[in-house]
Amino acid sequence: MVFNSLTFVVFFAIVLLLHAMPFTWKVKKVNLLVASYLFYAAWNPPFVILLWISTVVDWWAAKKLVDAERPAARRAWMLLSVVANLGMLGYFKYGGFLLENFGALMASLGVAYQPPKLDIVLPVGISFYTFATMSYTLDIYLRRARPARNFLDYALFVTFFPHLVAGPIMRPTELVPQFEQPRRANANQLCFGLALMTLGLFQKVVLADGFLAGPAEAVYDGTKIPGALDAWAATLAFSGQIFCDFAGYSTTAIGAAMCLGFAMPDNFRFPYAAIGFSDFWRRWHITLSAWLRDYLYIPLGGNRHGESRTYFALMATMLLGGLWHGASWTFVVWGGLHGLYLASERMLRARFAGYRPSALGLFGLGLLTYLLINLTWVFFRSKTFGDAWRVLKGMLGLNADAVPILPAVDLIAVAVIVGGIVAAHWLMRERTLESLLARVPAPALTAAWACLLFAIVIEQGSGNAFIYFQF
Amino acid sequence: MLSSTSSSDRAQHFAADRPGFVRLTASDRPGVAQPVPERDIPLQPWPRMFATAMALMLLALGAWEWRMRALGLEAGDLDDGASAWAEQRRRIDTENVQVAIVGDSRILFDTNLDRFEALTGTRPIQLALAGTNGRPFLEDLADDAQFKGLVLVGIAEISYFRDGIGLNAEALKRYAFESPSVRVSYLLHRELSRVFAFLDSSYRLSRLVHHVDDGLRAGAVASIPDRLWKLAVTGDDRQTTMWSRVESDPRVRAHQRAVWGVDRPSGRPITPIEDAVVTSTQEKTRAAVVKIRARGGEVVFLRPPSSPEFRRFEDVRMPRARAWDALLTAADVRGIHSDDEPAMQGLYLPEYSHLSRACATVFTDAYTREVARVTPRLALRADAPPALTPADCVAVDARVTGE
Repeated sequence: MVFNSLTFVVFFAIVLLLHAMPFTWKVKKVNLLVASYLFYAAWNPPFVILLWISTVVDWWAAKKLVDAERPAARRAWMLLSVVANLGMLGYFKYGGFLLENFGALMASLGVAYQPPKLDIVLPVGISFYTFATMSYTLDIYLRRARPARNFLDYALFVTFFPHLVAGPIMRPTELVPQFEQPRRANANQLCFGLALMTLGLFQKVVLADGFLAGPAEAVYDGTKIPGALDAWAATLAFSGQIFCDFAGYSTTAIGAAMCLGFAMPDNFRFPYAAIGFSDFWRRWHITLSAWLRDYLYIPLGGNRHGESRTYFALMATMLLGGLWHGASWTFVVWGGLHGLYLASERMLRARFAGYRPSALGLFGLGLLTYLLINLTWVFFRSKTFGDAWRVLKGMLGLNADAVPILPAVDLIAVAVIVGGIVAAHWLMRERTLESLLARVPAPALTAAWACLLFAIVIEQGSGNAFIYFQF
Repeated sequence: MLSSTSSSDRAQHFAADRPGFVRLTASDRPGVAQPVPERDIPLQPWPRMFATAMALMLLALGAWEWRMRALGLEAGDLDDGASAWAEQRRRIDTENVQVAIVGDSRILFDTNLDRFEALTGTRPIQLALAGTNGRPFLEDLADDAQFKGLVLVGIAEISYFRDGIGLNAEALKRYAFESPSVRVSYLLHRELSRVFAFLDSSYRLSRLVHHVDDGLRAGAVASIPDRLWKLAVTGDDRQTTMWSRVESDPRVRAHQRAVWGVDRPSGRPITPIEDAVVTSTQEKTRAAVVKIRARGGEVVFLRPPSSPEFRRFEDVRMPRARAWDALLTAADVRGIHSDDEPAMQGLYLPEYSHLSRACATVFTDAYTREVARVTPRLALRADAPPALTPADCVAVDARVTGE
């Protein structure tokens, strides 16, 4: 189920109630586990089986890996986990894509091959929970983590509903220890958790779905030719939409976990105030970028085997990171552009090592970063390269036969909301949300909280899925 | 300044020592085990703030509900959509459905299910969808071996003669698979809508904002669904009627007429529907009719009225001889066209395209009697109420609208 649904409101109220009852800690954990399976099954009950397979395979692989004495055996059990997880991910997420491209390749070679139409349904959140379960086996293999004391703690680590389908992608060392001791939120934690959930849902329901999705959709999914104003407005709208959608999900997830007494890590740190692309990736989808760094970039050589190897590792990581987002070449281009940006930044940093920009210079570099990030969003949002090219040409003012698309009210909404988001990110660049909330007088904070709640309720929401569920 | 979710004493110190309370994340710790996260709780009276915020929100919501009711929204308007449609469609899987209606918004708004039931003793299931081509839904029934009843197909030529499904393509997918979560949310929303008028998708915050923009940017013409304010009210069984304010408020009515754009041409040429689309529509319709008849079912076509203003536009795109007459011949079906029935003349269409609530009842009365005449699949009850005439609704509408 999605957080922005009436089903979740009822579900979460029941979970909170059960968690507050005087049960033993083990019973409470069983409650949370059952609730998490219900949370997942609410999309499509049969897919719970996949979740079980992923859970059980990694539990046994890690167990055998710990018991194994020979390095080769340890490696074999680790590989079993990786192959099983990536195999499942590959089949469900990339099966159709691979066949389609194989067919195209054969056609280009003059071989008539019509691939079968697989019609595979993508299980929601599969990319997230396979990464979480893989990190369990890999961390144990790399001796960074101890195995969970019991299957219940481990299964709950994989399945815990706040992070299950769209992250933050948790590591075993972050979450398993939290299940070892009884945890229950006190009144402050419960209410602050609810405040975070309000903020997250406001971002998703009101800003992303209510005001920003429409303008992006009108230009990207329409057939009209956009001019510069419409193309830029739609792209900026999407930059705001995807941030509010995903950061909104993460904030709601962190709040939901906090209401139950658990802590989850930051997944966003005001990314549109990033200065440079390495800074951007330390602020955007932090748990994914850190996962890719630790389990892909570093094993590929990282930055310790010479410059060429570093650039190779960087590009490979970003291209695969792009493909992780979806089985489409547009996502690969998105990742490739980020790889190029990161590689270029690395070269420039080496070339101008002594350069120390002024405050204004830093601000200019930040805006340049945001501008270039927006160019990558064009490929991320477009369903085809044709659509991407139509919008890019519009952004560059090259569409001679452009027509006005977005009504004035949408242009104003995009300017106000996205301008507000970017300004807020710059103001909060070196701070956390909590530091701001600690300073604001309680009455003002209460009034703002009431306004957010009111806006969520009157926007109603249509229970749209979060964008990252499809990844 | 802060407390923390961590049980560690270290956390509180650490938080206070950090400028801006910025904490390390996984991005700052490459290649190592990530520790249990620390979450700061800003020092504020959170429980009191939560209670006050909830109270303020409820007060504001009460005022909002009052305002929405003053604007004409009503509790019990259940909102139509894919889940509501799928719920009706599933009835064919479990009940012996005698009559199903497919089509677009005209047959949806213009059918009074209670009147139909009073006349025949049968309550049809309403499967028409606004902004949506009825033909794929006719084909869906044709492919369902369970269905052996009578299908009434509402036709608006410009909606029926096209390749795509239109606005509500999601409905068929929702029928094929509806997740438990979506189903429960739909049921909860429906029950809340019986109590709260403000729960109306047409009057959500982001749509209300668009009401202030009536063409401020020259040339930027949003799609018709995006420009609609509110047109209909939906009750149980998807009984849909025109929203009362379209009838009673000249401003709302004028806006809706302008949205259709039939009396204020945009300057763009109106092009006839392509021959290929006409031919494929006829072929697909014929195939569906054959399948339904093979199981003992029957199909009757209905053409609800549209105003002369709308009709001028429709006749350019798809004149009757090319559309209606040819379709009946090609599919070998009986049809009831509002042009041909004296009891359907002079009915009131406030925004040119759909009948007023009162006239929808008169139209239903007229077409039900006619369907019973043209096919033995439907019969009038012995105690059916007497026939209505256009005079029964036109006078009512004149009082409401002042037109």
